[in-house]
Amino acid sequence: MKSLRKQTLDGNVETMLLAILETGPSYGYAIVKELNERADGILRLGEGTVYPVLHRLEEKRLVSASWRTAENGRQRKYYRLINKGRKALAQNRQQWHLLTVVMKKVVHSAARLSPGPVLKGASI
Amino acid sequence: MSLALQKYLDDVMAYVNRRQEDAIEIRAELEDHLLQKVAELEAQHLPREDAIFQAIEDHGSARTVGYGLRKGFALLDVRTEGTARGFVAVGPKAIGVIAFGGVAVGLFAFGGFAIGAIAFGWLALAALISCGSISLAPMGAALGLVVLGRIAIGMVAGGGLAVGLWVPWAVDRVSLLAGDNGIQLLQHFRNYNDGVEMIVIAVWFFTIFPFLTGLMGAIESLEHKRIKKTDPKLVE
Repeated sequence: MKSLRKQTLDGNVETMLLAILETGPSYGYAIVKELNERADGILRLGEGTVYPVLHRLEEKRLVSASWRTAENGRQRKYYRLINKGRKALAQNRQQWHLLTVVMKKVVHSAARLSPGPVLKGASI
Repeated sequence: MSLALQKYLDDVMAYVNRRQEDAIEIRAELEDHLLQKVAELEAQHLPREDAIFQAIEDHGSARTVGYGLRKGFALLDVRTEGTARGFVAVGPKAIGVIAFGGVAVGLFAFGGFAIGAIAFGWLALAALISCGSISLAPMGAALGLVVLGRIAIGMVAGGGLAVGLWVPWAVDRVSLLAGDNGIQLLQHFRNYNDGVEMIVIAVWFFTIFPFLTGLMGAIESLEHKRIKKTDPKLVE
């Protein structure tokens, strides 16, 4: 299966994490698992690279974080989407929707109009 | 916890370089992730050693994770990968008040490609003073091989007052190829209204620039020593 290039992904992981946290508070490992499941193999991130993004969201006050004791007795950091994050997610969703519409219209229609690669020996 | 996991976390934390309270929390969070991953892989009947290896592998390079977890805009950010952002920033790409790197953007910028109020680099673009092989300071003073500035001094120079071997274009020029000599050069400088700029260039070039270059070098070397203390292999 084809995977996304890093450049395509840059800046959008924040939105993905906000979307995952929309369903309820969660912690790093569970967020990564959920992300991988939803991405269905198209997205392959180093699991540790999710943490800088989570911390950035916390610094921007889009999510709040708190430590709780997990069932195994270890301390675990939970992230929760807060109002500012919800608003940001709504805005990003709208932007994404518009971008997908535009990309479909422009790129797909260009593909339809394009004559495609000229094959050697082909004649009209 | 296994030694391999501890070692990996040590490496990550060497790059994170945050104050102790933050570092403890970050380490605990990553440790929880790795231990849970190992447990899950073991539950899938993977031998413990393989599970640990797999967990570390999936977590990503210690350097990438560690640098990612550094503070947004620190007082001092020195890194060997990615973009350093800080009051003093040193890295392959650097953005800061004082920036030093392959690509440097700052008030004082030093680098291969430097952009700033005062810039020094192979290609330097500055508002006030630029110095480099190709040096551009349309509003200020430029020194180097190919230069363009309000005051430009170089092999090939152009701009307001331009002094050089070849001066293809300038409002006021001293060209050695055209036969101008030292006396004419001094006369030009004496007549030029912004003589102060020449003094600033001299002060900058002979005092501030060597000092800042030395300081940046020392900072970089200290960072290497700090990381090397965690694991000498990290700086190889």
